[in-house]
Amino acid sequence: MKTEAELVAEALRGAEEAFREIVVRFERPVYSLIARMIQDPAAAEDLAQEVFLKAFRRLETYDPARKFSSWLFKIAHNTTIDHLRRHAPETIPLEGGKDREEDRGGLAAVLADESTENPSSAAERRDMARSLERAIARLRPEYREAVVLFYIEGASYQEICEATDLPLGTVKTNLHRARKELAEEMARLGWGPAETRSAPGS
Amino acid sequence: MRPSHDEILDRWLAAEADGREDDAETALFALFETLPPLAPPAGFANRVIVRAALAPIPAPVPARRNLVAVPWLRALVALSLLIVGLALPWLSGLLRSLAGVTGSLWSLADMVRLGMEGLVAVSQGLGAALALWDWLLEIGRTLQAPFATPAAALVMVVCLLVSVAAFHFLRDLISRDRSWIHVEPI
Repeated sequence: MKTEAELVAEALRGAEEAFREIVVRFERPVYSLIARMIQDPAAAEDLAQEVFLKAFRRLETYDPARKFSSWLFKIAHNTTIDHLRRHAPETIPLEGGKDREEDRGGLAAVLADESTENPSSAAERRDMARSLERAIARLRPEYREAVVLFYIEGASYQEICEATDLPLGTVKTNLHRARKELAEEMARLGWGPAETRSAPGS
Repeated sequence: MRPSHDEILDRWLAAEADGREDDAETALFALFETLPPLAPPAGFANRVIVRAALAPIPAPVPARRNLVAVPWLRALVALSLLIVGLALPWLSGLLRSLAGVTGSLWSLADMVRLGMEGLVAVSQGLGAALALWDWLLEIGRTLQAPFATPAAALVMVVCLLVSVAAFHFLRDLISRDRSWIHVEPI
Protein backbone atom coordinates (compact mmCIF):
# COMPACT_ATOMS: atom_id res chain seq x y z
CA MET A 1 0.00 0.00 0.00
CA LYS A 2 1.34 3.39 -0.97
CA THR A 3 2.02 5.97 1.69
CA GLU A 4 0.16 9.27 1.83
CA ALA A 5 3.27 11.16 0.70
CA GLU A 6 3.70 8.87 -2.30
CA LEU A 7 0.07 9.28 -3.30
CA VAL A 8 0.33 13.06 -3.00
CA ALA A 9 3.51 13.12 -5.08
CA GLU A 10 1.84 11.03 -7.79
CA ALA A 11 -1.31 13.15 -7.71
CA LEU A 12 0.84 16.25 -8.11
CA ARG A 13 2.34 14.68 -11.22
CA GLY A 14 -1.21 14.42 -12.55
CA ALA A 15 -1.99 10.77 -11.77
CA GLU A 16 -5.76 10.57 -11.50
CA GLU A 17 -5.59 7.15 -9.89
CA ALA A 18 -3.49 8.52 -7.05
CA PHE A 19 -6.02 11.26 -6.40
CA ARG A 20 -8.84 8.73 -6.55
CA GLU A 21 -6.99 6.59 -4.00
CA ILE A 22 -6.64 9.60 -1.71
CA VAL A 23 -10.39 10.27 -1.96
CA VAL A 24 -11.28 6.61 -1.34
CA ARG A 25 -8.95 6.44 1.64
CA PHE A 26 -10.26 9.58 3.35
CA GLU A 27 -13.86 9.95 2.13
CA ARG A 28 -15.34 8.24 5.19
CA PRO A 29 -13.65 10.30 7.95
CA VAL A 30 -14.15 13.58 6.09
CA TYR A 31 -17.80 12.84 5.36
CA SER A 32 -18.38 11.60 8.90
CA LEU A 33 -16.94 14.78 10.41
CA ILE A 34 -18.90 17.11 8.16
CA ALA A 35 -22.16 15.17 8.39
CA ARG A 36 -22.03 15.21 12.17
CA MET A 37 -21.10 18.88 12.25
CA ILE A 38 -23.86 20.13 9.98
CA GLN A 39 -26.45 17.38 10.63
CA ASP A 40 -27.52 17.22 7.00
CA PRO A 41 -26.32 14.16 5.04
CA ALA A 42 -27.16 15.59 1.61
CA ALA A 43 -25.33 18.86 2.17
CA ALA A 44 -22.53 16.91 3.85
CA GLU A 45 -21.77 15.02 0.65
CA ASP A 46 -21.56 18.25 -1.30
CA LEU A 47 -19.26 19.81 1.30
CA ALA A 48 -17.11 16.68 1.48
CA GLN A 49 -16.66 16.85 -2.30
CA GLU A 50 -15.70 20.50 -1.92
CA VAL A 51 -13.09 19.55 0.67
CA PHE A 52 -11.43 17.12 -1.74
CA LEU A 53 -11.57 19.64 -4.57
CA LYS A 54 -9.88 22.26 -2.39
CA ALA A 55 -7.28 19.69 -1.36
CA PHE A 56 -6.71 18.81 -5.01
CA ARG A 57 -6.18 22.46 -5.97
CA ARG A 58 -3.87 23.16 -3.03
CA LEU A 59 -2.05 19.85 -3.00
CA GLU A 60 1.31 21.54 -3.52
CA THR A 61 0.91 23.35 -0.21
CA TYR A 62 0.71 20.07 1.74
CA ASP A 63 3.76 19.43 3.89
CA PRO A 64 4.60 15.69 3.73
CA ALA A 65 6.21 15.95 7.17
CA ARG A 66 2.70 16.25 8.64
CA LYS A 67 -0.12 13.74 8.57
CA PHE A 68 -2.28 14.06 5.49
CA SER A 69 -5.44 13.46 7.52
CA SER A 70 -4.63 16.48 9.74
CA TRP A 71 -4.28 18.67 6.67
CA LEU A 72 -7.52 17.34 5.24
CA PHE A 73 -9.37 17.78 8.54
CA LYS A 74 -8.16 21.37 8.59
CA ILE A 75 -9.71 21.97 5.17
CA ALA A 76 -12.89 20.20 6.33
CA HIS A 77 -12.91 22.39 9.46
CA ASN A 78 -12.68 25.58 7.39
CA THR A 79 -15.25 24.41 4.85
CA THR A 80 -17.67 23.49 7.62
CA ILE A 81 -17.23 26.86 9.29
CA ASP A 82 -18.01 28.60 6.00
CA HIS A 83 -21.15 26.51 5.63
CA LEU A 84 -22.30 27.14 9.20
CA ARG A 85 -21.69 30.86 8.78
CA ARG A 86 -23.69 30.98 5.56
CA HIS A 87 -26.59 29.09 7.09
CA ALA A 88 -28.36 29.79 10.34
CA PRO A 89 -26.97 27.61 13.12
CA GLU A 90 -29.08 24.52 13.28
CA THR A 91 -31.12 23.86 16.36
CA ILE A 92 -32.33 20.44 17.28
CA PRO A 93 -35.94 20.76 18.40
CA LEU A 94 -36.66 19.24 21.76
CA GLU A 95 -39.99 17.94 20.50
CA GLY A 96 -40.52 16.37 17.12
CA GLY A 97 -36.82 15.95 16.44
CA LYS A 98 -37.22 12.27 15.75
CA ASP A 99 -39.71 12.78 12.96
CA ARG A 100 -37.73 15.56 11.43
CA GLU A 101 -34.58 13.49 11.40
CA GLU A 102 -36.28 10.50 9.81
CA ASP A 103 -38.10 12.61 7.25
CA ARG A 104 -34.88 13.83 5.78
CA GLY A 105 -33.05 10.53 6.07
CA GLY A 106 -31.05 11.74 9.05
CA LEU A 107 -27.87 10.39 10.58
CA ALA A 108 -29.58 7.95 12.91
CA ALA A 109 -31.30 6.32 9.95
CA VAL A 110 -27.96 6.05 8.19
CA LEU A 111 -26.31 4.63 11.27
CA ALA A 112 -28.92 1.99 12.06
CA ASP A 113 -27.51 -1.14 10.51
CA GLU A 114 -29.97 -3.95 11.12
CA SER A 115 -28.48 -6.47 8.75
CA THR A 116 -26.58 -8.46 11.38
CA GLU A 117 -28.89 -8.30 14.39
CA ASN A 118 -32.21 -9.61 15.54
CA PRO A 119 -35.07 -7.11 15.25
CA SER A 120 -35.29 -6.22 18.95
CA SER A 121 -31.56 -5.70 19.37
CA ALA A 122 -31.43 -3.74 16.13
CA ALA A 123 -34.29 -1.53 17.26
CA GLU A 124 -32.56 -0.78 20.55
CA ARG A 125 -29.30 -0.15 18.79
CA ARG A 126 -31.08 2.21 16.39
CA ASP A 127 -32.61 4.04 19.34
CA MET A 128 -29.23 4.36 21.00
CA ALA A 129 -27.57 5.53 17.77
CA ARG A 130 -30.30 8.12 17.35
CA SER A 131 -29.94 9.31 20.93
CA LEU A 132 -26.16 9.46 20.70
CA GLU A 133 -26.29 11.41 17.45
CA ARG A 134 -28.85 13.76 18.96
CA ALA A 135 -26.67 14.25 22.00
CA ILE A 136 -23.67 14.99 19.78
CA ALA A 137 -25.76 17.41 17.72
CA ARG A 138 -26.65 19.36 20.86
CA LEU A 139 -23.04 19.95 21.79
CA ARG A 140 -21.37 23.27 21.01
CA PRO A 141 -19.70 23.09 17.57
CA GLU A 142 -16.16 23.01 18.98
CA TYR A 143 -17.10 20.23 21.43
CA ARG A 144 -18.86 18.33 18.66
CA GLU A 145 -15.85 18.58 16.40
CA ALA A 146 -13.50 17.40 19.13
CA VAL A 147 -15.72 14.41 19.96
CA VAL A 148 -16.02 13.33 16.33
CA LEU A 149 -12.31 13.69 15.66
CA PHE A 150 -11.12 12.07 18.88
CA TYR A 151 -13.62 9.33 19.69
CA ILE A 152 -14.96 8.48 16.25
CA GLU A 153 -12.09 9.23 13.86
CA GLY A 154 -9.35 8.33 16.30
CA ALA A 155 -7.41 11.57 15.81
CA SER A 156 -4.73 12.34 18.39
CA TYR A 157 -4.76 15.47 20.56
CA GLN A 158 -2.01 16.90 18.38
CA GLU A 159 -3.98 16.30 15.20
CA ILE A 160 -7.03 18.00 16.69
CA CYS A 161 -4.84 20.95 17.72
CA GLU A 162 -3.55 21.22 14.16
CA ALA A 163 -6.98 20.88 12.58
CA THR A 164 -8.69 23.40 14.83
CA ASP A 165 -5.78 25.68 15.75
CA LEU A 166 -6.60 25.37 19.43
CA PRO A 167 -4.02 24.90 22.20
CA LEU A 168 -3.60 21.42 23.65
CA GLY A 169 -5.12 22.42 26.99
CA THR A 170 -8.23 23.77 25.29
CA VAL A 171 -8.66 20.61 23.23
CA LYS A 172 -8.40 18.45 26.35
CA THR A 173 -10.83 20.68 28.23
CA ASN A 174 -13.28 20.64 25.33
CA LEU A 175 -13.15 16.84 25.18
CA HIS A 176 -13.65 16.49 28.92
CA ARG A 177 -16.60 18.88 28.99
CA ALA A 178 -18.07 17.34 25.84
CA ARG A 179 -17.97 13.87 27.38
CA LYS A 180 -19.73 15.13 30.50
CA GLU A 181 -22.40 16.91 28.46
CA LEU A 182 -22.89 13.82 26.29
CA ALA A 183 -23.47 11.69 29.37
CA GLU A 184 -25.92 14.23 30.80
CA GLU A 185 -27.79 14.42 27.52
CA MET A 186 -27.95 10.63 27.20
CA ALA A 187 -29.30 10.40 30.74
CA ARG A 188 -31.83 13.11 29.92
CA LEU A 189 -32.93 11.08 26.90
CA GLY A 190 -33.61 8.12 29.17
CA TRP A 191 -30.37 6.18 28.83
CA GLY A 192 -29.33 5.48 32.38
CA PRO A 193 -28.22 2.23 34.00
CA ALA A 194 -30.38 -0.66 32.71
CA GLU A 195 -32.46 -1.00 35.90
CA THR A 196 -33.43 2.67 35.93
CA ARG A 197 -33.97 3.03 32.18
CA SER A 198 -37.38 4.11 30.96
CA ALA A 199 -38.47 4.59 27.38
CA PRO A 200 -35.01 5.35 25.93
CA GLY A 201 -34.87 7.88 23.19
CA SER A 202 -38.26 9.31 24.11
CA MET B 1 -17.73 -12.60 24.08
CA ARG B 2 -17.82 -9.00 22.98
CA PRO B 3 -19.98 -6.81 25.24
CA SER B 4 -23.12 -5.38 23.66
CA HIS B 5 -23.62 -1.68 23.05
CA ASP B 6 -26.06 -1.71 25.94
CA GLU B 7 -23.45 -2.97 28.40
CA ILE B 8 -20.88 -0.50 27.13
CA LEU B 9 -23.33 2.36 27.46
CA ASP B 10 -24.09 1.35 31.06
CA ARG B 11 -20.38 1.09 31.79
CA TRP B 12 -19.73 4.54 30.37
CA LEU B 13 -22.58 6.26 32.22
CA ALA B 14 -21.66 4.51 35.46
CA ALA B 15 -18.03 5.57 35.09
CA GLU B 16 -19.11 9.16 34.40
CA ALA B 17 -21.36 9.12 37.45
CA ASP B 18 -18.56 7.77 39.66
CA GLY B 19 -16.01 10.21 38.23
CA ARG B 20 -13.75 7.44 36.87
CA GLU B 21 -12.30 9.48 34.03
CA ASP B 22 -10.14 6.80 32.39
CA ASP B 23 -12.89 4.18 32.50
CA ALA B 24 -15.40 6.64 31.08
CA GLU B 25 -13.10 7.53 28.21
CA THR B 26 -12.35 3.89 27.40
CA ALA B 27 -16.04 3.00 27.50
CA LEU B 28 -16.98 5.91 25.25
CA PHE B 29 -14.35 4.81 22.71
CA ALA B 30 -15.82 1.30 22.84
CA LEU B 31 -19.36 2.63 22.50
CA PHE B 32 -18.56 4.55 19.33
CA GLU B 33 -16.87 1.44 17.96
CA THR B 34 -20.14 -0.49 18.21
CA LEU B 35 -21.90 2.01 15.98
CA PRO B 36 -21.78 1.40 12.23
CA PRO B 37 -19.50 3.87 10.44
CA LEU B 38 -21.00 6.85 8.70
CA ALA B 39 -19.94 6.76 5.05
CA PRO B 40 -20.86 8.84 2.02
CA PRO B 41 -23.17 7.32 -0.60
CA ALA B 42 -21.59 4.88 -3.05
CA GLY B 43 -19.75 6.42 -5.98
CA PHE B 44 -18.52 9.37 -3.97
CA ALA B 45 -14.97 9.17 -5.31
CA ASN B 46 -16.22 9.07 -8.90
CA ARG B 47 -18.31 12.17 -8.35
CA VAL B 48 -15.32 14.00 -6.85
CA ILE B 49 -13.16 13.03 -9.84
CA VAL B 50 -15.82 14.24 -12.26
CA ARG B 51 -16.11 17.55 -10.41
CA ALA B 52 -12.33 17.91 -10.28
CA ALA B 53 -12.15 17.38 -14.04
CA LEU B 54 -14.98 19.81 -14.76
CA ALA B 55 -13.95 22.56 -12.39
CA PRO B 56 -11.22 24.75 -13.80
CA ILE B 57 -8.25 25.09 -11.53
CA PRO B 58 -7.96 28.79 -10.72
CA ALA B 59 -4.59 30.40 -11.18
CA PRO B 60 -3.04 31.11 -7.80
CA VAL B 61 -3.75 34.65 -6.76
CA PRO B 62 -0.67 36.36 -5.38
CA ALA B 63 -1.25 37.29 -1.79
CA ARG B 64 -1.87 41.00 -1.47
CA ARG B 65 0.65 42.60 0.85
CA ASN B 66 -1.00 44.23 3.78
CA LEU B 67 0.96 47.44 4.26
CA VAL B 68 -0.86 48.24 7.49
CA ALA B 69 0.63 45.07 8.97
CA VAL B 70 4.24 46.30 8.48
CA PRO B 71 5.36 47.49 11.94
CA TRP B 72 7.81 50.18 10.81
CA LEU B 73 5.25 51.63 8.42
CA ARG B 74 2.70 51.80 11.20
CA ALA B 75 5.26 53.54 13.41
CA LEU B 76 6.04 55.99 10.59
CA VAL B 77 2.36 56.79 10.06
CA ALA B 78 1.88 57.27 13.82
CA LEU B 79 4.92 59.58 13.98
CA SER B 80 3.69 61.57 10.99
CA LEU B 81 0.29 61.99 12.57
CA LEU B 82 1.92 63.12 15.82
CA ILE B 83 4.06 65.70 14.03
CA VAL B 84 1.09 66.97 12.02
CA GLY B 85 -0.94 67.17 15.22
CA LEU B 86 1.76 69.17 16.98
CA ALA B 87 2.26 71.45 14.01
CA LEU B 88 -1.46 72.05 13.56
CA PRO B 89 -1.46 75.50 15.27
CA TRP B 90 1.13 76.74 12.81
CA LEU B 91 -0.36 74.88 9.86
CA SER B 92 -3.75 76.49 10.51
CA GLY B 93 -2.22 79.90 9.79
CA LEU B 94 -0.82 78.54 6.57
CA LEU B 95 -4.16 77.02 5.62
CA ARG B 96 -5.92 80.31 6.37
CA SER B 97 -3.56 82.20 4.12
CA LEU B 98 -4.03 79.53 1.45
CA ALA B 99 -7.78 80.02 1.65
CA GLY B 100 -7.31 83.76 1.38
CA VAL B 101 -5.08 83.40 -1.63
CA THR B 102 -7.52 81.20 -3.53
CA GLY B 103 -10.01 84.04 -3.41
CA SER B 104 -7.75 86.40 -5.29
CA LEU B 105 -5.63 86.19 -8.40
CA TRP B 106 -2.27 84.56 -8.10
CA SER B 107 0.76 86.78 -8.51
CA LEU B 108 4.46 86.09 -8.17
CA ALA B 109 4.55 88.11 -4.94
CA ASP B 110 1.68 86.05 -3.51
CA MET B 111 3.42 82.83 -4.39
CA VAL B 112 6.70 83.97 -2.82
CA ARG B 113 4.86 85.14 0.29
CA LEU B 114 2.99 81.85 0.47
CA GLY B 115 6.21 79.89 0.06
CA MET B 116 7.88 81.88 2.80
CA GLU B 117 4.95 81.42 5.14
CA GLY B 118 5.01 77.73 4.40
CA LEU B 119 8.70 77.51 5.21
CA VAL B 120 8.19 79.46 8.41
CA ALA B 121 5.31 77.15 9.41
CA VAL B 122 7.33 74.02 8.71
CA SER B 123 10.35 75.31 10.63
CA GLN B 124 8.10 76.30 13.52
CA GLY B 125 6.63 72.80 13.50
CA LEU B 126 10.08 71.25 13.54
CA GLY B 127 11.05 73.57 16.37
CA ALA B 128 8.00 72.44 18.32
CA ALA B 129 8.83 68.79 17.68
CA LEU B 130 12.39 69.36 18.91
CA ALA B 131 11.08 71.13 21.99
CA LEU B 132 8.81 68.17 22.66
CA TRP B 133 11.73 65.81 22.23
CA ASP B 134 13.78 67.89 24.72
CA TRP B 135 10.86 67.79 27.12
CA LEU B 136 10.60 64.00 26.85
CA LEU B 137 14.35 63.66 27.36
CA GLU B 138 14.12 65.83 30.44
CA ILE B 139 11.37 63.61 31.86
CA GLY B 140 13.52 60.56 31.12
CA ARG B 141 16.52 62.06 32.90
CA THR B 142 14.39 63.03 35.88
CA LEU B 143 12.96 59.51 36.17
CA GLN B 144 16.31 57.84 35.59
CA ALA B 145 17.78 58.75 38.95
CA PRO B 146 15.13 57.15 41.24
CA PHE B 147 14.77 54.09 39.03
CA ALA B 148 18.51 53.46 39.07
CA THR B 149 18.29 52.16 42.65
CA PRO B 150 18.07 48.33 43.06
CA ALA B 151 14.75 48.51 44.88
CA ALA B 152 13.10 50.53 42.13
CA ALA B 153 14.61 48.28 39.47
CA LEU B 154 13.21 45.26 41.30
CA VAL B 155 9.78 46.86 41.46
CA MET B 156 9.95 47.53 37.75
CA VAL B 157 10.93 43.96 36.96
CA VAL B 158 8.10 42.65 39.15
CA CYS B 159 5.62 44.98 37.43
CA LEU B 160 6.87 43.80 34.06
CA LEU B 161 6.52 40.14 35.03
CA VAL B 162 3.03 40.71 36.42
CA SER B 163 1.93 42.47 33.24
CA VAL B 164 3.41 39.70 31.07
CA ALA B 165 1.62 37.06 33.15
CA ALA B 166 -1.64 39.03 32.96
CA PHE B 167 -1.29 39.37 29.21
CA HIS B 168 -0.59 35.67 28.84
CA PHE B 169 -3.60 34.80 31.01
CA LEU B 170 -5.85 37.13 29.03
CA ARG B 171 -4.66 35.68 25.73
CA ASP B 172 -5.25 32.16 26.99
CA LEU B 173 -8.72 33.11 28.17
CA ILE B 174 -9.62 34.63 24.82
CA SER B 175 -8.26 31.71 22.81
CA ARG B 176 -10.09 29.24 25.04
CA ASP B 177 -13.39 30.97 24.49
CA ARG B 178 -12.87 31.50 20.80
CA SER B 179 -14.86 28.74 19.24
CA TRP B 180 -15.32 28.97 15.55
CA ILE B 181 -12.38 30.22 13.63
CA HIS B 182 -10.67 29.60 10.37
CA VAL B 183 -7.41 27.77 10.92
CA GLU B 184 -5.54 29.24 8.00
CA PRO B 185 -6.55 30.24 4.50
CA ILE B 186 -6.60 26.81 2.87
